[in-house]
Amino acid sequence: MSAFWISRDPIDATALAAPLARPDSGGFASFEGRVRNHHEGRAVTALDYEAFESLAVAEGERIVAEALGRHGALEARCVHRVGRLAVGEVAVWVGVSAPHRAEAFAACRAIIEAVKHRLPIWKKEHYADGDSGWVNCEHARTAAPAPFDYSRQLALPEVGAEGQARLAAARVLVVGAGGLGCAVLASLAGAGVGEITVMDPDRVEASNLHRQPLFAAADVGRPKAEAAAERLRAYNPDVAVRAAVARFDGATADERVASADVVVDCTDNFSAKFRVNDAAMRAGVPAVLASVYQYEGQLQVVRADRGGSCLRCQWPEATRDGLVGNCEQAGVLGPVPAVLGQLQAMEVLKLLLGLPGQLGNEVLLVDLLAAGQRRLAAPRDPRCAGGCIRIADAAAARAPETLDIEMPLEAAAAAGYRIVDIREPMECAFEPLPVSGQQSLPLGRLLDGALAVEPQQRYLLVCAHGVRSHAAAEFLRARGHPNVWSLQGGLAGQAR
Amino acid sequence: MPRLTLHYYALLREQAGRSSETVETGARTPAALYAELAARHRFRLSAAQLQVAVNGAFSGFDRALEDGDEVVFIPPVAGG
Repeated sequence: MSAFWISRDPIDATALAAPLARPDSGGFASFEGRVRNHHEGRAVTALDYEAFESLAVAEGERIVAEALGRHGALEARCVHRVGRLAVGEVAVWVGVSAPHRAEAFAACRAIIEAVKHRLPIWKKEHYADGDSGWVNCEHARTAAPAPFDYSRQLALPEVGAEGQARLAAARVLVVGAGGLGCAVLASLAGAGVGEITVMDPDRVEASNLHRQPLFAAADVGRPKAEAAAERLRAYNPDVAVRAAVARFDGATADERVASADVVVDCTDNFSAKFRVNDAAMRAGVPAVLASVYQYEGQLQVVRADRGGSCLRCQWPEATRDGLVGNCEQAGVLGPVPAVLGQLQAMEVLKLLLGLPGQLGNEVLLVDLLAAGQRRLAAPRDPRCAGGCIRIADAAAARAPETLDIEMPLEAAAAAGYRIVDIREPMECAFEPLPVSGQQSLPLGRLLDGALAVEPQQRYLLVCAHGVRSHAAAEFLRARGHPNVWSLQGGLAGQAR
Repeated sequence: MPRLTLHYYALLREQAGRSSETVETGARTPAALYAELAARHRFRLSAAQLQVAVNGAFSGFDRALEDGDEVVFIPPVAGG
C-alpha cells in the first residue's frame, strides 16, 4: 500500500490510523493540519487546494521513506486534501508508528515539515470580505534545511524533551579553538546547546589541521574563531554561534564568563588557564578545564558556583609557562586533545542536564598510551575562603623587590616556600605555626648567620606581627639572598 | 623497608622511562621519596613544581608514607 496520496474526500483520521496499529510499535504519533479562520489578520472562510498530483505523490512517498529511515520509525501514512475545504476541516494528516514515542514524534514532525516545504501543492484563501488570493507557497523554498534531529539523545530517559529544552536554553563560552576546542565545540553544537561563544585570538595554521578537524586546509590564515563559528552554523543551524577574535583577558572576558552558564577552558598555556579559572571563580560560574601533553591529559571541573576547589588549590602559585612543553614544543597526537575535549563536552552536558557522576573537587588523569584513567580527589585548600583569587592577585601584583607577601602559610608551603619561624622558642611553644615542616630559627641566631641559605630555594620568614621578619628579610637580601620574603602581618595576620 | 607503588605522568614519565614502578625505600615522606627518585631518574622539575597524590587523593609533600601506599607525582600540563 502506498504511504502518501492525495484525497478529494474529507480525511477520516480514525480510519487512517487503524492500519498503523502493529504489535512491534510502542508509540504512535499523528498530526492534523486544519483550515484556520484567519490569516495575517484577515478572516478566512474557506480554502482551495490545488496539487501537481503525479509529482506530489512521488515526492510525498520519498518524504515518508526518508523520515522512516532517518528516525527509525516503522511505518507511516500521509494524506493531503485538494479541492474546497471549510474552516476546521483537515487539510493534511500524518500518522507514524515507531518502536518508541521519540521516533514517532520525530518522524511525524519531519514528514509534515517536508510536506509543507517540498510538495507542489498550492492554496487559495477565500476571505470573509469576498476577496481571495494564493498564499504561502512554501514549497517554493526548496532550499529549506531538514530539521536537526536530536531523536537519539532524546531517547535517553535522562535527557528527553525536558533535557533538550535545557540544552537549547543554555549558553556556553569556549575559550580556545584548538584541539580541545574543536572537539568541545562540535559535540556541544551537535547536542543542540542554544548559544555557543567561541573565543580565540589566533589564526588557523597548517600545523593545526591534523588535530583540529573543524578547519579545512583552505581555512589556513583565517581567524580560528570565525572559521569555527562558520563551520558550526552550517553543521547545526539551531545553534546561535558567536565568534570573538580576542584574547581572554580583562573586563570583557569577565563579562563573557558572567553571562555564560558554563565556561570551557581549551587554551594551551598556563597564564590563560589561570585567567579563565580566576574569572570563573570571580563570577561563580562553573568551569571545565583540560590540558594535554603528548599522549596524556588532565581534566578538572571547577564548581565555582558551589565553592569547589579550583586550579589554584592544586597549583597555588600560577605555574610558569615554559616549565613543561606545549603541543608545539612537545608534540601531540590528534586523538589526545580530541579525547580530552570530548570528556570536557561530556562534563558540560552532565552539568547542563544534571546527570549523575559529575567530576567535582577531583582531577582526572588520562593516559592514552596506557589506555588508563585515574580519578584523584582534589579537595579545596581548607584555608581558602575565596582566597584562591586573593593568592593569585597577590602573586601577580608582587614585584620582585617586594619584601612582604601575604598568603596562607599552607599555600606558601604548598607553593614551595621554606617557612622559617624566627620567633623565640617560648613564643613558638605558646602558639605553634599552623603548618608542618617549618624550620625554627630565632631572629638572633639568624642575624648571627645561622641560616644556611640555598640559592635556588625560596624562604618565607614568619614572626608574630611581620615586623621582625621584615627586618630579617631585609638583612638577608642585603647579604645577597634575593629569594627571601617576610610574611606580612605575621602569625596574627593569618587569623584574620 | 616500605614498599610503594609509583605512577608517573607526562614529563616525569618521559624522564623516568616508565609510567609506573614499585620501589622499596627508606623515604618517609613524598618529599624525601621525590629527592631519592629525582637523583635516580635525573628529574629536572623540583618538588615545588609538582603535585603529589597518595592513595587517590592530592596530598602534601610532608605526609607520612606507609607500606603499600600508591604515590603519583603529577607535573603541570598546559597543552590544548
